[in-house]
Amino acid sequence: MIAVNDRLPEATLIRIGPEGPEEVSLLSKLKGRKVILFAVPGAFTPTCDSAHMPSFVRTADTFRKKGVDEIICISVNDAHVMRYWGETTGAKAAGITLLADADGAFTRALGLSFSNPKAGMFDRSRRYAMVVDDGVVKAFDLDELGQCQISTGEALLSRV
Amino acid sequence: MAISIGGRLPEATFATMGAKGPETVSLADRLKGRKVVVFGLPGAYTGPCSTVHIPSFIRTAEAFRKKGVEEIICIAVNDPFVLKAWGESTGATAAGISFFGDADASFTKALGMEFTAPHLGLVNRSNRYAVVVEDGVITAANIDKPGECNISTGESLLATL
Repeated sequence: MIAVNDRLPEATLIRIGPEGPEEVSLLSKLKGRKVILFAVPGAFTPTCDSAHMPSFVRTADTFRKKGVDEIICISVNDAHVMRYWGETTGAKAAGITLLADADGAFTRALGLSFSNPKAGMFDRSRRYAMVVDDGVVKAFDLDELGQCQISTGEALLSRV
Repeated sequence: MAISIGGRLPEATFATMGAKGPETVSLADRLKGRKVVVFGLPGAYTGPCSTVHIPSFIRTAEAFRKKGVEEIICIAVNDPFVLKAWGESTGATAAGISFFGDADASFTKALGMEFTAPHLGLVNRSNRYAVVVEDGVITAANIDKPGECNISTGESLLATL
């Protein structure tokens, strides 16, 4: 599993650009920058929708005042779903970037996948938040399955 | 198992959203002794699915019911949370359309309808099809070519009844 002081692996993530879906290199986002990365089990799932995402919408400005260049939310969903979720939660308006780990490869590479077949969730991401400085993990808070406590925006603020 | 008239759909269970959260539903249970429309599409919130395919079944839902169709089921390789939100935002839930999540794509693969477009972030998704199923037997089938949304619309399927 990924740990503090590790360098994040390169990953190709997807977002919806002006021309439709486009690939984004994660390393190009991280190089020489201070980035908050947080991940959720799924767009439109109750806790992600009502607690996790709102915590970063509330704290986005404070993170920026502390020198954070970008706040990125990653989920194993497709980019179409992420785009609409970003709009309905207010995350897009708050300047949060949503990137789709559509095939789950990045999440698996970090050792953070889980499945809950009963809920129709396969190879999804556990809930975590990290501070990444020039590609290196400086803080990493991983919530227990089913919880949303230490990976919230407010909890991570104290680590920046 | 290809889709063919006189054939049957593969046995499958799906994730759907119940009053208390995600539930598992058996397709066979929903088909037994009933006349049902089943249609598949690439994904919630993708362009033509939201703007063309789903609206075509919202427009025709009443006409299908008048022709004896007891349920209209949309199947997509999405989870039930996404499908619930999409069903509500498109008006499909209000039109009485059911959404079944083929979350691990096993049904779509068994049907031979899956496609993957990595650069679009679509993995093991479903091409478009629409079928009428009577007591488990396929009595009408309209299968679109990959990337198209022509003959699998509500209006086109309705014309076969």
